Amino acid sequence: MGLGAVGAAIGEGYTAAQANLAVSRNSDISGDIFKNMLVGQAVAESASIFALVIAILLLFLDVPGVSYLKAAALFGAGICMGFGAIGSGIGSGFPGGQTCTGISRQPAVSSRLTTNMLIGSAVCQTPAIFSMVVALILMFMDFGQAPLQPTWAALVGAGLSTGLAAIGSGYGGGLAAGASCEGVARQPETTGQVTTTMLVGQAVAQTPSIFGLLVSFILLFRSFPESSSLAAAMALLAAGISTGFGGIGPGIGNGMAAEGGVRWVSRNVEKAGELMRIMLVGQAVSQSTAIYAMVVSLVLIFVV
Amino acid sequence: MGELGRIHQLVFPLFGHTAAINLEVVVMTWIVMAALIVFGYLSARKRDILPRPIQVVGELFVGQLYGLTEDALDKEGARTYGPLIVALFLFLLFSNWLGIIPHLEEPTKDLNTPLSLGLMGFAIAHYAGIRSKGFKAYASEYFAPIFFMMPLNVIGELAKIVSISFRLFGNIMGGSIIILVVSYLTYNLVLPPFLYAFFGLFVGTIQAFVFTMLTVVYISVQVK
Repeated sequence: MGLGAVGAAIGEGYTAAQANLAVSRNSDISGDIFKNMLVGQAVAESASIFALVIAILLLFLDVPGVSYLKAAALFGAGICMGFGAIGSGIGSGFPGGQTCTGISRQPAVSSRLTTNMLIGSAVCQTPAIFSMVVALILMFMDFGQAPLQPTWAALVGAGLSTGLAAIGSGYGGGLAAGASCEGVARQPETTGQVTTTMLVGQAVAQTPSIFGLLVSFILLFRSFPESSSLAAAMALLAAGISTGFGGIGPGIGNGMAAEGGVRWVSRNVEKAGELMRIMLVGQAVSQSTAIYAMVVSLVLIFVV
Repeated sequence: MGELGRIHQLVFPLFGHTAAINLEVVVMTWIVMAALIVFGYLSARKRDILPRPIQVVGELFVGQLYGLTEDALDKEGARTYGPLIVALFLFLLFSNWLGIIPHLEEPTKDLNTPLSLGLMGFAIAHYAGIRSKGFKAYASEYFAPIFFMMPLNVIGELAKIVSISFRLFGNIMGGSIIILVVSYLTYNLVLPPFLYAFFGLFVGTIQAFVFTMLTVVYISVQVK
C-alpha cells in the first residue's frame, strides 16, 4: 500500500503541475482544466485504490491456521500489489497532465481529449490489474499440502515477478498515452490514427508484465518436490526476481518507443503505417532483454 | 468468505482440464457464435440503399475494420484478410460483452480460447509470410543479424503468442475477479454495475480491438 501510494502521488503531482501550467497559459477556461485534472487524477488514483483494497483485505482477513506458508503468500501478495501500483500510478498521471495542457491549447477538442485520456489511462492500469490478480490468488488459494521448504520461495517469487515487471510496463504505457493526448491536441483530425498507434504501442509495452504474470502463474500452480537444500528455494526466488527486474527496463523502453511513434504519427499522419512498423521493430528488439530474463527464469524453475 | 472461495475455482481450470468447466466455455462460445450468426443475418437480410438501423451497424463495423486492415496491409491484403479480421473482432467483442449478462460468462476468461485464437493468428501470419516472400527469404530472416541469433529469434516469435493471448486472458479474468471481490466487500451495493460497465464494456472493447490490431500487425510484419 505504501509503495502503491508513492506512484499515485507522483502521477497526481505531475497532473496538477501540468494543470497549473495550463491555467496560466489560458486562464479563461480554468474551470474546464480543473474538472479535467480531477478526472485524470481519479484514474491515476485507481491503481492505489487497488493497493488499498489489498491492504484492507490483508489487515482484516482472518486466516485460519496461520502457517509460515500462508505468511509467505500474504507477504508476496502485499509486495506484488505495492510494486505493481507504482508504475501504473505514475504512468496514468502523464495522459492526465498532457490532457490539461492540451485543453488549454485547443479548448474546442476538450471532449475528444478526455475520451482519449480515459482510454489511454485505462490501458495503463492493466499491469496494476495483473498484479492485483496475482495478489488475490496468493491470498485466497489454499496451499495446505504443499511442502514449506521450496514453496515459500515460489510464492514470494511469484509476487516479486509480477509486481516488479508491472513497474516498467505501467510507466511505459503512460508515456505512450501522454504523447497521444499531446498529439490529439496538436492535430485533432488525426485522433483515430493516434489512438490506434497508442493502443498497439501500449499493448506491446505491456508484454514484459505479461511475462511476469506467466512466470508468477508457473510458480503458483506448479507443485515443487520437498527439498531442504537452500539452492532449490533460492532458485525459485531468483526466478521471480529475474523476470521482475528484467521487465522494468524493456517496459520503460518500449513505452519510449511507443511515445516517439505516437508523437510523430500525429505530426505526419500520412506515414502512419511505416511509423508503426518501425516502432514495432524497435520495440521487439528492446523487448529481447525481457525475453532473455524470462528464459533465465524458466531455466531456473524447470532445470535447477 | 464463501463467495471469495470461488475465486480459485475460477482460476483452477487453467491446469486441471476438468470437463465440466470446459463444457461451460464451449456452451458460452456457442452462444456467442449464435449471436453473431443472428446479427449477421439480421444486418444482411434486407439490404437496401436506405439501410435499416441494424444494417448501418453492420456496415460500420465492416467499413471501419476494412479501413484499418488497409492501413496496415494494402488493398490486396485487405481483401484477403479483411473478413478474417472483422470476424475475429466481432467474436472477441461479443465474447467480452457476454459477461455482463447474468449467469453467462466470457469464453475469453478461460485461457484456452485466447490461446487458440493467438495460435491461429500466429499460423496465419507465418503462412502469409511464406507465401508472399517464398520459403527461403522467410527462413533467412531467422538468421537475421548473425546466424547464432536463430534460437533467440525463434523464442521471440513464440513469445508473441504468449503475450497476445495472456494479455486478453489476464484482462478479462482480472476484471471478473475484481468484480467478484468488490461485490463481496460492498454486499453487492452500488458499485458493481459501474465495475461491469468499466471492465465488461470498456476494457472488453479495448482488449478486443488490441487483439485484432496486433493480429493485423503480425501479418503485416511477416508479409513486408
